[in-house]
Order: sequence, then structure tokens, then C-alpha cells
Amino acid sequence: MSDSLGENSPTLTTSPEGPSAVGGGARTAPSPARRPRRGSGPDWRKRLEITILAGPAILVFLTFVIFPVLMAAYYGFYKWKGFGRPTNFVGLHNYVVIFQDPTFHQALMHNGFIVVLSLIIQGPAAVALALLLNQKMRGRSIIRVLIFVPYVISEVIVGTGWSLMLQTVGAVNSVLEKIGLIHHPIDWLSNPKLAIWSLMLVISWKYIGFAVILFLAGLQSIPEELFEAASIDGASYWQTQRRITLPLLGPTIRIWAFLSIIGSMQLFDLVYIIWGQYVSSTAGTSTMATYMVTNGRNAGNYGFGNAVAVVLFVISLIVALIYQRFVLRRDTEGALTEGKK
Amino acid sequence: MKARKSLAAAAVLAAGALVLTACSSGGSGSGSTASSAAGGGKVTMTFWHNSTTGDGKAYWESTVKDFETANPNVTINIQAIQNEDMDGKLQTALNSGDAPDIFMARGGGKLADVVAAGQAQDLTKSIDAATKSAVGDGAFSAFSVDGKVYGMPVAVLPGGIYYSKDLFTKAGITSTPKTMADLNDAVTKLKAAGIEPIALGAKDAWPAAHWFYFFALRECSKDTMAAAAKSRSFNDPCWTKAGQDLQTFAATNPFNQGFLTTSAQQGAGSSAGLIANHKAAMELMGAWDPGVIASLTPDAKALPDLGWFPFPAVDGGKGDPAAMMGGVDGYSCSAKAPKECAKFLNFAMQKQYQEGYSKAFQTLPASKDAQSAVTDPALLDILKAYNNAPYVSVWLDTLFGQNVGNALNSGVVNMLAGKGDAAGIVKATNDAAAKG
Repeated sequence: MSDSLGENSPTLTTSPEGPSAVGGGARTAPSPARRPRRGSGPDWRKRLEITILAGPAILVFLTFVIFPVLMAAYYGFYKWKGFGRPTNFVGLHNYVVIFQDPTFHQALMHNGFIVVLSLIIQGPAAVALALLLNQKMRGRSIIRVLIFVPYVISEVIVGTGWSLMLQTVGAVNSVLEKIGLIHHPIDWLSNPKLAIWSLMLVISWKYIGFAVILFLAGLQSIPEELFEAASIDGASYWQTQRRITLPLLGPTIRIWAFLSIIGSMQLFDLVYIIWGQYVSSTAGTSTMATYMVTNGRNAGNYGFGNAVAVVLFVISLIVALIYQRFVLRRDTEGALTEGKK
Repeated sequence: MKARKSLAAAAVLAAGALVLTACSSGGSGSGSTASSAAGGGKVTMTFWHNSTTGDGKAYWESTVKDFETANPNVTINIQAIQNEDMDGKLQTALNSGDAPDIFMARGGGKLADVVAAGQAQDLTKSIDAATKSAVGDGAFSAFSVDGKVYGMPVAVLPGGIYYSKDLFTKAGITSTPKTMADLNDAVTKLKAAGIEPIALGAKDAWPAAHWFYFFALRECSKDTMAAAAKSRSFNDPCWTKAGQDLQTFAATNPFNQGFLTTSAQQGAGSSAGLIANHKAAMELMGAWDPGVIASLTPDAKALPDLGWFPFPAVDGGKGDPAAMMGGVDGYSCSAKAPKECAKFLNFAMQKQYQEGYSKAFQTLPASKDAQSAVTDPALLDILKAYNNAPYVSVWLDTLFGQNVGNALNSGVVNMLAGKGDAAGIVKATNDAAAKG
């Protein structure tokens, strides 16, 4: 790289020691001083470098993220069966139908329920588990692996497994009956009052490992000296956790909560596998994503389905932006403002 | 020098374009049109069907081979696609202009959507006279849009109730139910004997909806059904009556435990699996059921005591008690397919191939000439009822198209789960019209 610079650009010859200086790390400091003398050549080169390095990523992002979003917005204005070009322009009709549809309201409520309960259930439990697994004890790494295993298993396998176990004649009821806890089988999946709690059980089981691993990593980054200082000052175990561990774990918890919220908003696969294509709204476990598939793809209303996709996108985006603005702000402050210095 | 350079550049460009076109036509079915238009040249067609395993797959392979032997200039590339993936893949293929030349179709509103987009070939004049008379108007009507035929039926799949003769005997039921009172009686006896009366795969919605369809078939007159197929609205009181009939029947708890999360055909826990393993006595299904049940029995052989009876008559219903409802499986040609597509479909409709189809799929062939190949006792009962039926309706979800059909199915499931009533089903279908 430095060779080609030397060959092609006459401006560099004014500082002959330049190419050799690049090799020595300690002597790279003078380079800012050279900048004004460079002229337009290297600037152009820098742009080219940025273009070449960032180009493919930007191209992929535009093609597979931005373009589909724009196409979805376009299709959302049509009544379209998915064959050929959309021709029946209906304006905002699809959006009006979505926001007036009680089934969609239910799906939205289920999403909200899952967002809140995921935070409430998984957060404290994962912090507790992380604190426990941060202690030195026998079999620690095995327990860590076991807690993380459900997160690694594919959603389809988890969904299929749990749906078989939670059947009325499945393993869960069988065990409960045999140890005498219940006398009649419980309808875990199709009773609308219970189904969403069954879903929460599966979600918590599946995703808690991810939170625990994140928190463990966060705990590792807390300097040991702080704990030593606290113990010298006579702080109790709980005081140490409350005053030192939790505040310093804050950034990790906030990032985890962000990922959890977005994941809950877009929850699809577990519901779709356990409750199938049709009965999720009957069982009270439908989400915006299953609503989209049921009323878009399965019903053959591709225009309507695209409108739902846009609504789902906008809702997730708003939630994400609000969270970034008000909660993640101090964590990301450095990263975002660095360029302005 | 300069001129030579630009010439070379043009040549490279042209070559690139050629390669690109070659690629696109090689991968697509539509490319075949060009080669057949070249006159007497080779014709290549793609063919999508849904039999990914066993006898059905072997049947299509041997039939295609025979056709290729008889027509040496034709090559057919078979692609077996999982049934559940078929709709989505076909949709993508049709939109991208990369449609298969021959594809599976089930008629009704779904096919009508494809026809409306100009993607299916009009086969009215391409069908052999012999095939036409052997199949009869009934099965062709499922593939007709505005009087033109867009598909070739290969199998008729009328529905009815499959039951285990052994379990009926065990419960002390001596004759198959003829009326709803008989059916209620049978349900009570089976329960008393500790047997789950009816298996229902409501997780897939359509098996539950079939109960509503059949009540509607018995409650509504032929004319009302035909009118609703056109208007897609359910204002006649017979539709609400049918919903109420189902609600009353469901209140007697005739269905297996946890039917809402039971699937129709997947594994021993599905409704077909419950029948195959003698865990439940009855199932309302189409004529594909003996084949599905056979694949789920412990020894993977046909269930020996499987019987069939038509859906019972309903008191005061306006529909003919002998009328039947069912589906038709068939194949269509895409709009750009060469004329050899229709030729292949006619070829597969000959007696020997229809007999082979009937044996491979354990179902009823569309051609009446091939009916002698049916030997399964349950299928023979259906065949008799089918030949005697005054009229045959297509499944209502197929008839009304995906959108309304889907809403209808969900409405029925909601009612069975205790959320909503007969009026709710009608409302759900009207709401669906706003989304499509």
C-alpha cells in the first residue's frame, strides 16, 4: 500500500522519509502535520478506499433491507393477490382495516404482554443466575453450558418438543398426574387463559441462557479491585452486589433489555410452530408477525400482508428509537458523538 | 486501433448477453416455448407435483418415462415439492416469470386467481374427447372459470366419515349412522365404552371447517350453495343454521381431547394417527385419508378395519342427503407452456395410467373408465356414493378462494374453541373481504 502511494503520487516525494516512517509505530504521529500538503490526490484515494471497503456492505444492505422495505410500502397501498403486477390501488384502505381489526388489537396486546413479562421474568432470574454462576463452585462450567443449551437449539426443535410435551395427553400432564399434583389433565395449549403463560414458559426457558451469558460477560468486566475495596471497607455481600455489581452491570442489562424487547415484538417462529398456521389467535397467543402471515400469505392477500409488515416495522422502529433516545443514550453517547470532536 | 478495441468490447458485451439469456432460459420453463417454436426441435418442460415419497413419486416417474418414450423429442424435468410448500413456491415462480410448465392445481377460487393474472393456459380445446367423456362435467367444473377449462382433473376426493369397524363393534354400534340422531347415539356409546368418538385436527383449521361445510351441504339447497359461490356472501339463514348445528353437536364433546392443537396428518398424535392406532373411532375426511392412515399405522400398512359412511342427514335440511362434497386434484399448464403440456396431461389420463394413479395414491381416479382399479373396501363405499350423488360440491374453502376460505376456517375454529358463535363465522368472512 505504501509502495503504491509512493509511486503514483508526486506530492508524497516532498517528504522522502514518509514511506519508511509508516513502518515504525512510534513515528506515525507526524502524519497529521503532512495532511495540508497532500492536495486532492490522497483525498480522492481515501474516498475510493471507503467506497471499496464499505461498498459491498452498503449494496447488500440497500438491496436486501431498504429495497424490500420500500417495496413492502408500495405493495401495501394495493389490493393484490400476489400474481402479476398490483393494479388495484386502494390508498390507505389496508391500514384502516388493520387498525380497526380487533384480531390485530389482540395480537398487539399479546406482543406487549410478552415484551413486559419477558423483562420481568427473565431479567431478575438471569441476574440471579449470573451472580450464582460467577461464584467459584463445583460443576460451574457444566451448569453454564446447560443453561445456554436451550438458546442454541433451533426454534423449530424447541417448538416441536414443547408442543408434544404440553399436549393434553403429553409428558407434562402425565408427570404432574403421576406425582399427584393434578387429577385432570390441564389444557396447556388451547385454553386461552393458559396458552400465553405456556408460551411465556417456553420463551423464558429458551432465551434465559442468552441473558445469563451476557450478564456473565458483563460481570467479568467489573474490576476486581472494587470488590476488594468494598470488603476492606466492611461492606456485606448484598451491599457489594447492590452498590457495585448492579450499577456496573447496567449497560449490559440495558442492551439485553433492548434485544429482548425487539425479539418479543417480532416473535413468530415459536408461536407458529406450536400453534400452527391457524389457531394462535383462537388460543390467544397470536403476535403481529403471525397475524401478518395468517392474513397475508395464508389468505393470499399479499397487499394487505405487506401493509401489516410496514405497521410491524414502524412500531418496532418507534420502540427502538425511543429506547435508544431515553435509555441507551448514556451507553452509546461516546460512540455516537465521537465524530463531532 | 481504437475501432478494433470498441469492436472487441461490443463482442464481449454480446457474448455476455448471450450467456445471460442462455442462463435464464436454461433455468426456466418458459425457455421451452422458443425451442418448440423452432419446429420439430427438442422440447423441455418442467413438471411440479406433490408426491415426494413412495408409490406416488414412482408413479409420476414411470408415467413421464413412458411419455418420453412415446414422444422422443420431449424431455420432462420432474420436481417433487412438499405439499405445504407448493402454494408459496408456485406463487413465487409465477411472479418471477419462471413458472413450471405443468403444475398441480386444486381448482376453485385459488386457480381462478391464477387465471385472472393470465398465468394459466386455456385447455378447453386441447382435451381429448375420450378424456372429456371419461371424466364427466362434474370434475371439470372445478377447473372451469367463465366456461373455459384451465386444468385436468386426475383424482376426485369426496369426503365422508371414516371409522374403525372394530371400535364400533366394541362399543356395540351395529349399523353406521344415517341421521344426526344416530351419530349422537354412536358418540354416546363410544364414550361409554371409553373410546374417543371423533378425531379432529383443528390445528390445521380446515378439518374442523369440514364439519361446518358438511352441515351447510345438508342445510342449504343446491341453488343456495351455487349462489354463495358467486356472491361470496352468506345471507341465507341456512348458513347460520349450519353453524348452530355444529355448535350443538360440539357441545356434546364428541372430539378428541386437545383437538385444537391436534394436527391432521403429522405423526401418531394427529387425527389420522389417532384413527390409525385405534385411539379414536371416527374422522371426517376426504378420500385421501386411507392413504394417510395407512402411512401412520404401526406396521405402515392399510388399516384392515377401516370403513366409510356418508355424512348423516340433518332434520329439515334443504340439501339432498345424498349430495357429496369433495376436492379434485389436477394439473394445469402455465400460460407460456408448449402444446406438449396438454398432450402429456391427455396421455396421463389414459385408462392404464389412471388405474396406476388410483393404486399408487389409494384414491379415486378422475376417469370413470379406471374405476375398476379401486379395491379398497372403504374406497368402494365412497365410489358407490359418489356415482349415485345427485350433485357434488367442491370444498367450500377451495370454492370461495384463499381469502374467504381462510377466514371461514378460522371462524369455525373460533366457534369450536368457545370464542364466538355461528353469526361470528359469517362476520369473519365478511371482514375477510375487506382485506382481499
